[in-house]
Amino acid sequence: MSDVTKSQGEDEVITLAVAAGVSERRQARKESWRQIRRRPSFIIGVVIVTIWVLCALFPDAIAPFDPLNYRAELNQPPSGDHFFGTDKGGRDVFSRVIAGARDVLKIAPLAALLGVFGGVILGMLMGYLRGRFDTIASRIVEAFISLPVVLLGLLAITTLGNSNWVVIGVVATLFTPIVARTVRSAVLAERDLDYVTSARLRGESGAFIMFREILPNVMGPIIVELTIRVGYAVFTVATLSFLGAGPPPPSPDWGAQVSDNYNSIVAGFWWSTFFPAAAIASLVVAVNLIADAVQSVLGDS
Amino acid sequence: MRRFVLKRIGSIAITLWLLATIVFVFVNVLPGDIGRKVLGPTAQPADVAAFNARLGTDRPLIEQYVTSMRRVFTLDFGESFQTGGPVTDLVLPALGRSAKLAILAFVITIPISIAAGIYAARRQDRLADRVTVNIGLASTSVPEFVTASVLLAVFAVQLQLGKVYANVPEGTSFLGQLDYLLLPALAMVVSYFGYIARMTRAGVIGALHADYTRTATMKGMDPGQVMRRHVLRNALAPTITVISVQIGYLFGGIVGVEKVFNYPGLGTMMLNAVGKKDIPVLQASVLIVGIIYMLSTLLADLVIAYLNPRVRLEAGR
Repeated sequence: MSDVTKSQGEDEVITLAVAAGVSERRQARKESWRQIRRRPSFIIGVVIVTIWVLCALFPDAIAPFDPLNYRAELNQPPSGDHFFGTDKGGRDVFSRVIAGARDVLKIAPLAALLGVFGGVILGMLMGYLRGRFDTIASRIVEAFISLPVVLLGLLAITTLGNSNWVVIGVVATLFTPIVARTVRSAVLAERDLDYVTSARLRGESGAFIMFREILPNVMGPIIVELTIRVGYAVFTVATLSFLGAGPPPPSPDWGAQVSDNYNSIVAGFWWSTFFPAAAIASLVVAVNLIADAVQSVLGDS
Repeated sequence: MRRFVLKRIGSIAITLWLLATIVFVFVNVLPGDIGRKVLGPTAQPADVAAFNARLGTDRPLIEQYVTSMRRVFTLDFGESFQTGGPVTDLVLPALGRSAKLAILAFVITIPISIAAGIYAARRQDRLADRVTVNIGLASTSVPEFVTASVLLAVFAVQLQLGKVYANVPEGTSFLGQLDYLLLPALAMVVSYFGYIARMTRAGVIGALHADYTRTATMKGMDPGQVMRRHVLRNALAPTITVISVQIGYLFGGIVGVEKVFNYPGLGTMMLNAVGKKDIPVLQASVLIVGIIYMLSTLLADLVIAYLNPRVRLEAGR
């Protein structure tokens, strides 16, 4: 069993076999990436997301006015000067919508990424170790899942105070159990396959088997989950900031803008709410189109 | 069947305990004292101390935890920081109003989305299917408050249909109430349509391609009967699960909808509690939503077990 008894020839065979496995996997990955790219929903999604990313990166180059300090007449309807009109403070809604892309695009992907990271570790441990750890962790995951993320987020942000980092941390924490559940079931399907058994017989450590052997084989569902989580993160962050658990009022954050202006819809000033709301909708739908394309290619594997 | 129900109730009790613990941890992990947080930095130290003593927030954490758990299981959530009255007196009426809105939303959503799902499945990959699937995706992924504010702008203000403030005056007739509640309910219908329609579609497609359906068709069974007896019966189990999950999650989205329409339900009450840092009210609301979620998933499991004897037998073991 020990390495000392292994002959030169055996080593080569193993190396070749591993190389074949790796190149096969690379081939398959290339093929699914090609399929994803060809889907119309993916292309539309990427175009919209790219536009918003550009807005977030270069707001000053795109927005005609300063989102915070520029003042014009209050509540003007959309016109050639102000494409989206002006809000109740006389600020240019178009410029504010452009500037507002930055907050969401900073917070949501980071929260999703951290949540998936935590979920992969927890789900991997649950699925691989099974036993008592899995039983207890599954219960806790179930309890977390029985609550809407927005409500727990609201509770947590009320007690922890709202800063961008708190929002990121809270959303990531609330996503962790959801991701863990998906990863766990993917790992359960893998853990009794031959390659895992042989790795165990080879005397590999648990960490090696989990993250070097099993992880590459469950990357499909993890990538699907990541794209879905980014969509939900945008959804959650926008909702939390609409509910007041986001950046404070003068901020051009989309959810905060809707929250700041929805009361003036009644007076007929629909544009100061409609455009930031439409911006949220376009971004969430775009991310979900991407997620849907990724899922329909990788989901079957 | 009885054994199955008892088992599920036992597991609900454990989940509820864990849930209450999670909420307790969320509220208490932070350093610093609650009295100071609620009363603000300008309050006198003596007042803060008195506040903490009155609510028991100056006791050791373990003791607070035990008290809090005892309260959860006796459904007594303590006193509101704002009013000093029992939390239950505040939460239950608000919950009732939210439930009215939620039930209306579900009564509209369920038939429409199941019908759309079946329709799309029978025209798989054709135009009608693509349209349904993409509308479903878009409608579901947009946050409820976005849908609600767009509906408010279009219907209540531009077209003058429906009410801007959903706050129903006392003693309004049933139809009169609908006028107030229809728009906010519609915002939720849009949000939940997609999930249920897509899940129904997937279930029906799966069942349409199953061997038993082919056998039934080939033995000359009437197509309508094949649909009712074989396809739908099998296809609807995942749909029922999705619906039950949505009933709990609905209370996450309802907060935004209630805010847009100024509707005095559980969501609005929670937002007020957030503003005033009224933690007992928040805690109670979150727990009640958790309980509703668990009861609705229990109900769904029972319905599925009723529809499918295999599940019933396996679960009872």
